[in-house]
Amino acid sequence: MHLLVIEDDREAAQYLQKALRESGHSVEHAADGREGLFRATEGRYDLIIADRMLPHLDGLSIVSIMRQKGNATPVLILSALGTVDDRVRGLRAGGDDYLTKPFAITELLARIEALARRRATGDEMTRLKTADLELDLLTRRVSRGGRELDLTTKEFQLLEFLMRRAGQVVTRTMLLEGVWDLHFDPQTNLIDVHMSRLRQAIDRGFDKPLIQTVRGSGYRLGEQE
Amino acid sequence: MKFRPFNASAARLAAAYFLVFAIGVSLLLAAVYLLTKTELQSEADSVIEAELEGLIDEYRLDGRAGLVEVLNLRSDSWGRTGAVYWLSDAQLNRIAGNLTGWPFAGRPTAKWVEFDLLAEEDEETVRHPVRAQIYPLDRGDLLLVGTDVSEQQRFFTRLRTALVWRISLITLFAALVGFIYVRRVGARVRATAESCETIMAGDLSRRLPMEGSNDEFDQLALAVNHMLDRLEQQSTTLRATFDSTAHDLRAPLHRISMRLEEQLREPQLSAAARENLQSMLEEIARLQRTLGTLLQIAMADAGSLAQQAERVDLGQLARELAELYEPETQARELELAVQVEAAYVQGNRQLLAQLVVNLLENALKYVPAGGKLALTVRSVGQHVRFTMADDGPGIPAAERRHVLEPFVRLDRDSAVTGSGLGLSLVAAIVRLHRGTLSLGDNSPGLRVDCEFPRA
Repeated sequence: MHLLVIEDDREAAQYLQKALRESGHSVEHAADGREGLFRATEGRYDLIIADRMLPHLDGLSIVSIMRQKGNATPVLILSALGTVDDRVRGLRAGGDDYLTKPFAITELLARIEALARRRATGDEMTRLKTADLELDLLTRRVSRGGRELDLTTKEFQLLEFLMRRAGQVVTRTMLLEGVWDLHFDPQTNLIDVHMSRLRQAIDRGFDKPLIQTVRGSGYRLGEQE
Repeated sequence: MKFRPFNASAARLAAAYFLVFAIGVSLLLAAVYLLTKTELQSEADSVIEAELEGLIDEYRLDGRAGLVEVLNLRSDSWGRTGAVYWLSDAQLNRIAGNLTGWPFAGRPTAKWVEFDLLAEEDEETVRHPVRAQIYPLDRGDLLLVGTDVSEQQRFFTRLRTALVWRISLITLFAALVGFIYVRRVGARVRATAESCETIMAGDLSRRLPMEGSNDEFDQLALAVNHMLDRLEQQSTTLRATFDSTAHDLRAPLHRISMRLEEQLREPQLSAAARENLQSMLEEIARLQRTLGTLLQIAMADAGSLAQQAERVDLGQLARELAELYEPETQARELELAVQVEAAYVQGNRQLLAQLVVNLLENALKYVPAGGKLALTVRSVGQHVRFTMADDGPGIPAAERRHVLEPFVRLDRDSAVTGSGLGLSLVAAIVRLHRGTLSLGDNSPGLRVDCEFPRA
């Protein structure tokens, strides 16, 4: 993917670019707000990563201006503030996702992937299918290999979230945000227990497990690669 | 805030004025009545006295016979002027006059007397009150001269009625004026108070409306608006300070963590070095969480809810979070009883969730295996009460206030990891939502009650 990183902290920007390139992305860098806005509106990127606080023009203003001009490139906002208000302001300005510094690179990579693919999968689908696993959003039934599975409401929501992102890495934070609508970090590994319950429900009795644990990142739905 | 009209000072003032006014008017009109009555009575009395004097003179000049003649002449006129006469000897035998009998049993000692005459009028017995003077003449003869005062008494009755009506009407009018005044003052005070509440609860950039009449209320609004200017300015400055502090503290953390992560990606790393780097990253994550919590506390206390306030079903939120934590409570062999009802509060969903999570995690951390936790949400009057109770070690009464302060931890908990910020954040979130927080004894255990205004 072709990415634009708008970040005034040169050292952080350098590490970030390096990590992104190592994961196979091509990256351009802008060191202040004005340059960032210029590049964002002139160039063509798959995704823009913008720091919240920048010299000359802050990240939120860049997003607002981009959106006003009709530029719909996904923007991931990086912020050192990380308060509830700040997150809301970031998303209201037109940001697509929000990450508090410091973050793990794996978290950032998973979110980049999710944002880039988001528009590919339509939201209006009523049936989701991954391998032999099927989920019907209207009847709220789940079956695997023709056999009906019994899931709780939360397990259903969890599975729906994963199936919409089948094949992608989904981090624990993304699950907390997407399924439980919690935008802060509880200190215990709650997600792991819920995932292992879901795994029990959909993988037990089948040869090929569909829920994969991705070390150091999170989970991925799909057959083992 | 509820407005109780009879607690208001305007109402008390108006009531006091009304009372003074009503008493004053009553006294004045009562005085008018008494003066009128006395004046009219003394006038009637002087007429009787003058006539009596004339009759006594007649008696002195022409003796009993002369007086009888005059009385007989005058008696005919009774019924027109209402004059009453009586002349008798010492044994009270009637000699002359228009009274048919002596109206008293025996001889009254008083000079002035009052008695009733009964007269047949239109086949009805009518009572005529009479006021008279008795004068002893020579040889025990008695002369009584009086006047029928029924007209006069009727006049007094009419006057009394008229005055009572007047007092009633005037006081009623005064009460009405007072009521309107109290209503008006009350409405403006209420409007001001409500505006203040909404401004403090939400948008600090809003100001109190002014009527432009430059009255006391406009002056009050002006003063409050000046205060709000200051508050808004301070809040903005504070926010900017937090922002730059957060930035300055997080940027180096971010750089360190990026650098550590890059080293971790090195393939030839020894297991020991890898573990070392991992634990450094975890340490940074912990530091970042503490920082985040501190900032959130500061922001909650400095800020206002307006921008992200929404109607949140605290009951449902608590149930969802209890479900999220259910595996964790099970793993720790704790029993979590959840009793919630739909209860809406105006607030920030994320912060309210953080509050519930912090209290749940606290209970998980401190209640030993086999313990019982109870999470309750219910509406109590105009409030929504969230209660988290456990049968763990509790918090000694003397420490309860103290543990809400940042970084305060009980000595006995030094073995348990924690930042000492969890309850401080809970307290800040409650303050931000204009609620109340109380830590109590669940005997045994801790009981945390949070009350929020119902939305």
